[in-house]
Amino acid sequence: MSKHLLKSAVAAAALLAAAPVAAQELTVGLRAGPDSIDPHWSTLGSQAEALRHVFDTLVDVDDTLQLQPGLAVSWEAIDDTTWEFKLREGVTFHDGTPFTAEDVKFSIERIPEVTGPMSMTLYTKYVDSVEVVDDYTLRVTTKGIAPALPNDFTRLFVVPSETGMEAGNEEFNSGEAAIGTGPYRFVSWQPKGDLVLERFDDYWGEAPAWETVIRKEIPDDAARVAALRSGEVDLINYVPASDYLAMQNDGDIETFVSDSIYILNIAPSVKDEEPQPITVNGEEVEGNPLQDLRVRQALDMAINREVLVDIVLEGLGTPANQLMPEGFFGYTDEIGDKPYDIEQAQALLEEAGYPDGFEIDFTCTNNRVPGDAVVCEALAQMWSRLGLTVNAQALNGTVFFPAAAREEYTMTMSAWGTLTGEAAYTYGALVHSKDDEAGFGNFNRTGYSNPEFDEVFDEGTQTLDPEARRGLYEEASLIAMEDRALIPTVILQSVWAAEADTLDFAPRVDQETRAYAITPAEAAE
Amino acid sequence: MLGFLLQRLIQAMIVIIAMSVIVFLGVYAIGNPIDVLIDPGATAEIRENLIRQYGLDQPLWQQYFTFVGQVLRGDLGTSMVYNIPVTDLVFSRLPATLELVFVSVCIATLVGIPAGLYAGYRPNGIAAKAIMALSVLGFSVPTFWIGMLLIMAFAVGLGWLPSGGRGDTGSLFGIPTSLATADGWSHVIMPAINLSLFKMGLLIRLTRAGMVEAMSTDYVKFARAQGLPDRQIVFSHVLRNISIPIVTVFGLELGSTLAFAVVTESVFNWPGVGKLIIDSILQLDRPVMVSYLVLVVILFVLINLTVDLVYARLDPRVRLKGGAA
Repeated sequence: MSKHLLKSAVAAAALLAAAPVAAQELTVGLRAGPDSIDPHWSTLGSQAEALRHVFDTLVDVDDTLQLQPGLAVSWEAIDDTTWEFKLREGVTFHDGTPFTAEDVKFSIERIPEVTGPMSMTLYTKYVDSVEVVDDYTLRVTTKGIAPALPNDFTRLFVVPSETGMEAGNEEFNSGEAAIGTGPYRFVSWQPKGDLVLERFDDYWGEAPAWETVIRKEIPDDAARVAALRSGEVDLINYVPASDYLAMQNDGDIETFVSDSIYILNIAPSVKDEEPQPITVNGEEVEGNPLQDLRVRQALDMAINREVLVDIVLEGLGTPANQLMPEGFFGYTDEIGDKPYDIEQAQALLEEAGYPDGFEIDFTCTNNRVPGDAVVCEALAQMWSRLGLTVNAQALNGTVFFPAAAREEYTMTMSAWGTLTGEAAYTYGALVHSKDDEAGFGNFNRTGYSNPEFDEVFDEGTQTLDPEARRGLYEEASLIAMEDRALIPTVILQSVWAAEADTLDFAPRVDQETRAYAITPAEAAE
Repeated sequence: MLGFLLQRLIQAMIVIIAMSVIVFLGVYAIGNPIDVLIDPGATAEIRENLIRQYGLDQPLWQQYFTFVGQVLRGDLGTSMVYNIPVTDLVFSRLPATLELVFVSVCIATLVGIPAGLYAGYRPNGIAAKAIMALSVLGFSVPTFWIGMLLIMAFAVGLGWLPSGGRGDTGSLFGIPTSLATADGWSHVIMPAINLSLFKMGLLIRLTRAGMVEAMSTDYVKFARAQGLPDRQIVFSHVLRNISIPIVTVFGLELGSTLAFAVVTESVFNWPGVGKLIIDSILQLDRPVMVSYLVLVVILFVLINLTVDLVYARLDPRVRLKGGAA
């Protein structure tokens, strides 16, 4: 007994001694990494996630993607087409030069010169000209009214103006030009390899806990889990559902679960003629039954979202009642939990003139996001209880997306993520009537067009006052959801895993793994 | 000899031209690379600009000849995803694949051929039966699964070896390689064994089959009647006679392992070229696809050439056609 006690005491002492050393270095195993160290090269999510350690953005986002001060401490629209940004003072770049408004102007102007196929000009498309008022004040003149400019600048990484327009990928990848104001300095990187970072001691924000951070790219799910289990990495992202179940029964591993921005939405075509025929007893139905709101309501009501989450997704999901998660700009509280009521659904269907249901094709993505194919099959079963015959088909994304873009499907399901944290991005692309000139409805494949929605939404995009705009977007969300323009099912969740009791880590809805937001666990100190 | 080499060179050129045309047509048939790469939020205007910037608005034949023109000036192009010259991208990862394949081929040969010889020499012994059973496992059990088992056993369970990645590199005869350091070897050994199993199984079976057949031939009987020891019969007569098919398969396998070790590379997160090519196909990164496949064609041609030269050395009856002329 005493021998055992001694053993644990020695082990504890060893742990205590090891803790400070271990706390200096963090190794993370990630599914994807950057394509380049040039922060203006690509809009890729994993690129922004990695480079955020080295470069700061003008505007930051909190863990529900709402705007927060970054290198700009405040911003306001001084007239319809001018935004003024007040910049943070006392910030220095990794090479010691002070950060000023000139650097921001240079960064905005550099983007069109160097950006690649995943073009970052997406985030500067509203910028007409940039004016430096003084070292810490910047004015941006926009093309038309642009209330979303601060949202676009959440991806505006700032590089020093001394970088010069000539510096490109090579200079950044070698580290020569990889100079930012971020919490970490760049040490080394290889495409698809490790990104090594070193703490920057003069960082303006809170000092990060780890002196060295190694971000290892391990795209294979099983290999990533093995790397964690063998202790090669301290934390991994995108844990597959099967391993998540095993890890829950494993005391050595701790998991962190968070809602993601991705929601599986059903898109019923409401065009006058449905692309794939809907039939009753083999005969094509007159008109398109999906045009009838009662039919769409019946489809919605026949979905048991609790079952989808608890059984189909093994707990890795949350029921969704609109196209964005709670807390996003334009999320409306007016829609409650979606009820599951098969009897009322049947009654609605009968009222609409389909007492015996109908036969319909239903096409989904397969393996684009975790769980899409199983949810697809489960939905088909739920609707068959309603009396429908559903021909469900889950297709690979390379087949699904081009065909969906050609609007060849009557009813589809795929995932959509509100990357910007605000409603204009999602509702403008999916629900708004198609309008190429204004750039709306790019992904509206259902033919849904509601003038009432368009009017409220359009007013929102022309309203600079944030609170008034929020109200308009909430109203627009409510109209679209009441109309069942799209039927949201579940919010997918994302899982991280680490060795038990080693790390404190608050997972983010955008699925970014930010090393400077991770601290050693209290217990280990 | 010179004529033979020249003939091979011309063949290689034809294959390379045909291959590059096929890749161009293939990518063209799948769709516009910009549509795969572009951000979902991009406007139609951004898309048009990009298509023009990458010359994708030109007719296919014009795009192809622009590419050929660049290649003739020694420029294989720049990756659309990484914005790095393709040659730099491929050559930064090629050493990792080369050392992995080198170690795995050594393991396969050094274990596979002796085991096959033994199994053919005493075909009814228990050891021979065990070797044959294992060889069946070697090429019928999927590589990724064995890889996972190896990781679970030696990295997670026992903690002897790292679960993946490439170790520290040192310099061996002036070449930077992870085979020069102990850490490098600890990283390479498990993926190399994993990669060698299929080839090992194949070599065992080929060697055994040749051996069994050869042992019943007249020349072996005469040699035995002459009183030569079995060791000498096997190693200096039989082995030489059965090596033609072994060398052929060895060459083919070497080529495909070099080019497509992607499963092992993924499971062990080995930073080789296999993973690179798969990603570039998924992203339709045409410059990388074309250049890499050109490289693979050259590799296969070189290996086949070596195999032909080895034939001539092994079997005096094989005379190189060009050599006689």
